[in-house]
Amino acid sequence: MRMSLWSGLPIMFLLLSGYPFLLFGFEDSYILELEARVYPIDSDDPARFNDDAAVSFEPEWRQTFNQGNTIATFTPFGRWSSRDSQRRHTDVRELNVLHVSDSWETLAGFSKVFWGVTESNHLVDIINQTDQLEGFDGEDKLGQQMIRISRSFDQSALTLFVLPGFRERQFLSQDNPLSLPFPIDNDSPLYDSPDEQDHIDFAARFSGYRGIIDYGFSWFSGTSRQPDFVPGGDGRLIPFYAQIDQLGLDLQITSEAWLWKLEAIRRDFENDASGEDFSAAVGGFEYSIYGLADGMFDLGLLAEYHYDSRDDRATVVFQNDLFAGLRFGFTDAESSEILAGVFVDQDDQSTSFRVEANRRIFTDARISLEANLFSNVDPGNAIFYLRDSDYLLLSLEFYF
Amino acid sequence: MQTFKTVFITVLIAATPVDFLIAQTPEERGLEISLAADQRDSGWKHQTSEMEMILRNRAGKESRRKITNRQLEVNGDGDKTLSLFHEPKDVEGTAMLTFSHGLEPDDQWLYLPSIKRVKRISSKNKSGPFMGSEFAFEDLSSQEVEKYKYKFLREEACGEFECFVIERIPQYENSGYTKQIAWIDKAEYRNIKVEYYDRKDALLKTLELSGYNEYSGGFWRADQFEMTNHQTGKSTTLLWQKYDFESDLDENSFNQNALKRLR
Repeated sequence: MRMSLWSGLPIMFLLLSGYPFLLFGFEDSYILELEARVYPIDSDDPARFNDDAAVSFEPEWRQTFNQGNTIATFTPFGRWSSRDSQRRHTDVRELNVLHVSDSWETLAGFSKVFWGVTESNHLVDIINQTDQLEGFDGEDKLGQQMIRISRSFDQSALTLFVLPGFRERQFLSQDNPLSLPFPIDNDSPLYDSPDEQDHIDFAARFSGYRGIIDYGFSWFSGTSRQPDFVPGGDGRLIPFYAQIDQLGLDLQITSEAWLWKLEAIRRDFENDASGEDFSAAVGGFEYSIYGLADGMFDLGLLAEYHYDSRDDRATVVFQNDLFAGLRFGFTDAESSEILAGVFVDQDDQSTSFRVEANRRIFTDARISLEANLFSNVDPGNAIFYLRDSDYLLLSLEFYF
Repeated sequence: MQTFKTVFITVLIAATPVDFLIAQTPEERGLEISLAADQRDSGWKHQTSEMEMILRNRAGKESRRKITNRQLEVNGDGDKTLSLFHEPKDVEGTAMLTFSHGLEPDDQWLYLPSIKRVKRISSKNKSGPFMGSEFAFEDLSSQEVEKYKYKFLREEACGEFECFVIERIPQYENSGYTKQIAWIDKAEYRNIKVEYYDRKDALLKTLELSGYNEYSGGFWRADQFEMTNHQTGKSTTLLWQKYDFESDLDENSFNQNALKRLR
């Protein structure tokens, strides 16, 4: 219902406004994805499934008004999975109006914001809740309701956020091989704040560049996107969302073929009983070699180190870990690409590998194959529950 | 760069008696023609255009890309460019912001719409192919006079035009070329043809520009670029449309906020 109402809005605007010449343009695009996943390792848990077929659909409708200075966007998202009932979900990724006036930009509605520079973890990025049902890398996000005001300067920008309302994290079903190793109560989370999910969060970011340096300073005050868990009465664990203040720094130096990257955060819990204050950082480089094999491909070499002051390898995934990766970017007409990466815990050598290869097919589609392998996982490591969760994912994305 | 060039060319013309012109070296003549060409194409302030790119492999199989470009002329520095990709559809909404700096490395940012991420990227890959085409990044970048050393070779007919033939040797780092030979028409100083010579000094590619139209302000733009790679047999056609010099663009249309809101 919501969708059809919204797509009718631009037409209503056109009829009511009486200024059809102000109408700039309507754009629509659609992404349909089909995926098949297999988990080749048999686990001890007989309830666990070993394969999954899934479909997702993400339309985007955009209407620009006012010589292109006002843009309305609606991007719903839906996922259906054959095996995991929790993964069958919908979300409003974007539903907002953006207005531009000289160096000012104002947005109201649901939207998505990305902060940061590193590749193997996104520490600084905090505005949106992670869509845990979608991806394993934390790059999929739920739409966040916000009022965003940004002012651009010559080589920088200041952006202020008011975030009225909180999106809870959703968790995979217990029979999903990638689910957390304990049952979770998805329905009644607990909060530090008496306002619960109606708490109004605030954030600010100052970012810019100077020569070869790109920087961002950020501040967030509000409900942590990352839950802790407390035992519930029925044996399930209940997500608990603390009130936090977080300072973030991201920095990149781009010098010839070298990209040097750093992200660092300091998180303080407003209630001392809710969590231990900590600092964390991730830093490293990406070095590119262009035109290898007679110009057939470019090669990127990546290495990043992860630090966390909590130094607790049982609960913190990235606390003393090293990431190394290779990126093969082919110069063919299909934009073929292969990414291969490995994380190694420096305390117990627990290792996870990931390889992803993708290329364009049928003019407007992409096919991709992804493999995740966990090896030598130590019982004391935070990823121990994934030790038998290796998987192979084949996906086909159609763009139209 | 424009101020410098204006002063330079004024001084050059003012201080050059006719008899000295005759005694010009080929290098001086080449530079003079290039400055004159640049001078004629200065003062457009900003422009937008739509570009369709048709890639052809040796077997004649085609694939297409569509890109919207906006450009801002910057006094005292290279141009600012914002390119928004429309096709292939899997890169729709991807956008690239470039602040070019002549001989210094360009500043370049890429916007990835699926994760809403802006990435500063290295601009070192000048000789690499742009989107799998026969155009290298350096072929499509802002052309500043200081980027080359020039040498006048000869005058000759080139198709329907009378042309100056000029040798250009890249002075910026990481170029894939030892030299370029450019045919510039004597009437309006437009690029008619360019030959690109690879690092072994062998002929690599030929670019032919056609369908020139004059836009308000006296600026000439070709609506077709044809690049042929002689070594691989592949070719790429660029079809340009909707050149607009009157659009409502300023500095605020060329920053990271602008990059993100295109899509």
